[in-house]
Amino acid sequence: MSVQSRQATVAHRGFVFDLGSAAIDLARSGWELYSVFARTLYFVARGKREKGAVLRQMYEIGNKSAFFLTITMGFIGMILVYQSGLQTKRILPDFTLLGATYLELLVRDLAASIGALMLATRVGAGIAAEIGSMVVTEQVDALRMCAADPIDFLIKPRFIASVIMTTVLIIWAAAVAYVAGGATAYFAFDVPWRTFLNIQLVDHGDLITGLTKCVAYGAAIPIVSGYCGLSTFGGSEGVGWATTRAVVNSSLAIIVLNFFISAAAFVVFPK
Amino acid sequence: MISFKHIKKAFGPKPVLDDVSFDVKRGEVFFIIGASGVGKSVLIKHLIGLLRPDGGEIWLDGEEISRKDELGMMPVRKKCAMVFQHSTLFDSMTCAENVALPLRKHRGMKTRDALIEAKNRLEVVHMQDFADRFPSELGDGMRKRVAIARALTLDPTYVLFDEPTTSLDPVSARRVDKLIRELSDKLGVTSIVVSHDLASIFSIADRIVMLYRGKVKLMGTPEEFKAVDDPIVQQFIHGRAQGPIE
Amino acid sequence: MTAAPSPSRFATLAEGVGTSVFGIAETVGGMGLLLGRILARLFPPRLDYPELRRNLYKMSVKSVPIVIITALFTGAIMVIQAAPIVKRLGAEGLVGWAAGFGTLREIAPLLTALMISGRVGANNTAELGTMVVTEQIDALRALAIDPIAFLILPRFIGITVTLFMMTLYADALALLGAAYSSKALIGVEPTAFLHGLTGGLLGFADVANGLVKSVVFGLVIALASCHFGLTTTGGAPGVGKSVNATVVASAAGIFVLDYFVSFLLG
Repeated sequence: MSVQSRQATVAHRGFVFDLGSAAIDLARSGWELYSVFARTLYFVARGKREKGAVLRQMYEIGNKSAFFLTITMGFIGMILVYQSGLQTKRILPDFTLLGATYLELLVRDLAASIGALMLATRVGAGIAAEIGSMVVTEQVDALRMCAADPIDFLIKPRFIASVIMTTVLIIWAAAVAYVAGGATAYFAFDVPWRTFLNIQLVDHGDLITGLTKCVAYGAAIPIVSGYCGLSTFGGSEGVGWATTRAVVNSSLAIIVLNFFISAAAFVVFPK
Repeated sequence: MISFKHIKKAFGPKPVLDDVSFDVKRGEVFFIIGASGVGKSVLIKHLIGLLRPDGGEIWLDGEEISRKDELGMMPVRKKCAMVFQHSTLFDSMTCAENVALPLRKHRGMKTRDALIEAKNRLEVVHMQDFADRFPSELGDGMRKRVAIARALTLDPTYVLFDEPTTSLDPVSARRVDKLIRELSDKLGVTSIVVSHDLASIFSIADRIVMLYRGKVKLMGTPEEFKAVDDPIVQQFIHGRAQGPIE
Repeated sequence: MTAAPSPSRFATLAEGVGTSVFGIAETVGGMGLLLGRILARLFPPRLDYPELRRNLYKMSVKSVPIVIITALFTGAIMVIQAAPIVKRLGAEGLVGWAAGFGTLREIAPLLTALMISGRVGANNTAELGTMVVTEQIDALRALAIDPIAFLILPRFIGITVTLFMMTLYADALALLGAAYSSKALIGVEPTAFLHGLTGGLLGFADVANGLVKSVVFGLVIALASCHFGLTTTGGAPGVGKSVNATVVASAAGIFVLDYFVSFLLG
């Protein structure tokens, strides 16, 4: 009983307390995130160029995520077409627009958003774990001693690499998901390939929206994860915490960005 | 009575223990000494089954224990408690909860009764005022005392101490020494202490074994160690930088 | 300063594929073994109730804020995406159904699972990994306490129960978010939205479909996070790597199993 009542009081006092401290934390993190972002942009424009750093990060982010992304996007493509096929079947058993609608959704939202959520876990966790380990083993302090700004040295290359590779990977992911979806439509609902391959619903607005999302997510993941990595403290527990926060915060950033970009696109490109 | 017989252990290609044999008698304070990385901690971890020997036998009170499985080791672990080098308290629990855990799991005590008993146990090591603190809020010496209280909760016959005074200030270190000696004198507990703290070795040890290059270099009382005419032993017990130890 | 190029960079593609296949097989095998050891502790149940209660509190109650944010935004996004399709068909009254179908069956369980994997699964790995590298697991064994029964079983149950409960929340909140954004975006009143939901095209089977998935996802996250936590080696960097491996394996496992469960349930 004592444990229960103790937890109850903690929870009770905790709620208002949590709300207040959460609001303060949010404001502070928001400001610090903005400052990391601004400094990254500054260094992209004016920082020292380190030969090969961006290429190495492109390899880390790109090649090492390609396999993971292919598997997950292949499966999500199959699931999405299967579910929407079932949905269509319930009202009008007419599959002529299934492929076209699917492609439209894929280009406008799903490829970028789901692909980026996958990259947030794979790439975001990797960046935070790597930078966080460097912080707790005092390698970042050693960098500062050599007069190298950690943002210039650690985050900038990851930022450039991520913006490029996220876009490339998401175009690849869209292709994988489309083919997997087409196969599902063919085998599960007997939709011929020619009917499925229909691009009439995709217009320039969808393309612009999709590409905007790629760039926005590609920029958000390294900034959020790098910030989580740099603010690591403590030992191994700290690195674990930083990695966890990187995954959660990058995913949240993607969901929130998706909402705003989608809403803006809805207004700018009315159908 | 504990007997190590021809213990061999290698990590990958690197042999750590190479045919180590010695006996520990009931009620004594037995020290295992040697340079860092010589396999002292590795050796005592074999006794409670945290590591398994590649060869050889370990006898505890007339029973061979090195071939037992994880479940079979549980009674042995209740008889042999261990105090880890870094205290290794559970950092999600308060000091009292740390000490209460074995009571709760093995004595079938309710959480509340176990906590009351845990506070009594903490009083023995003069930590009752810190019962509701978390380990991260305490210093090394205090954590060590809680760890000793936790190890003693099940009234073990043998207690293994892995470098109990390393990283403690001299005052805390001597207090820990005094505690180990009292355990043996008052309760008849057998202590096996891994250490290279010369002050502890010559103030509380009954017998000492020295490991060197994976083998037993010398076994005997502190007086015998002081008297022996071996350059390696002499270099170690006098803490000289120059000598045959590389 | 940054990670030196690994030797695998120069490995051939075939070698790379082979290594990945073996790596995946090893992981799946390790998880299978762990599952066996966990199940062995369930009959008869040797569960530490205070530990279970502590984990449930930490995992569920502390995850509520991110589940709320995720679900509300997701519901809104579903409507934004469904709106043009519904308009094209001239069936604004169906927006509740269109958004609800995807949300309940797929998107709410999936996104909740991804967020809980990041919040709870990753955190669990970090905790277990820290306990491994600081010898706390060995300390448990030295006290004659079985780490699987004491540590892993409560976490395993905790994660599975948490995800199930959070999916229930997310279902409700996502529909709420969807209802209000369809009013804002295409002028469908929440009552009409509700009618689209309950008009007969959606049934309890659709909700149950999503909930069954959430249990499967919960098991995947629980297994992956415990497995990678317990197999952590190499200090602080090792903990980071384990957490990374957990979220990647959970995400892959969630998507692959989602496909099979979707097909099985139809």
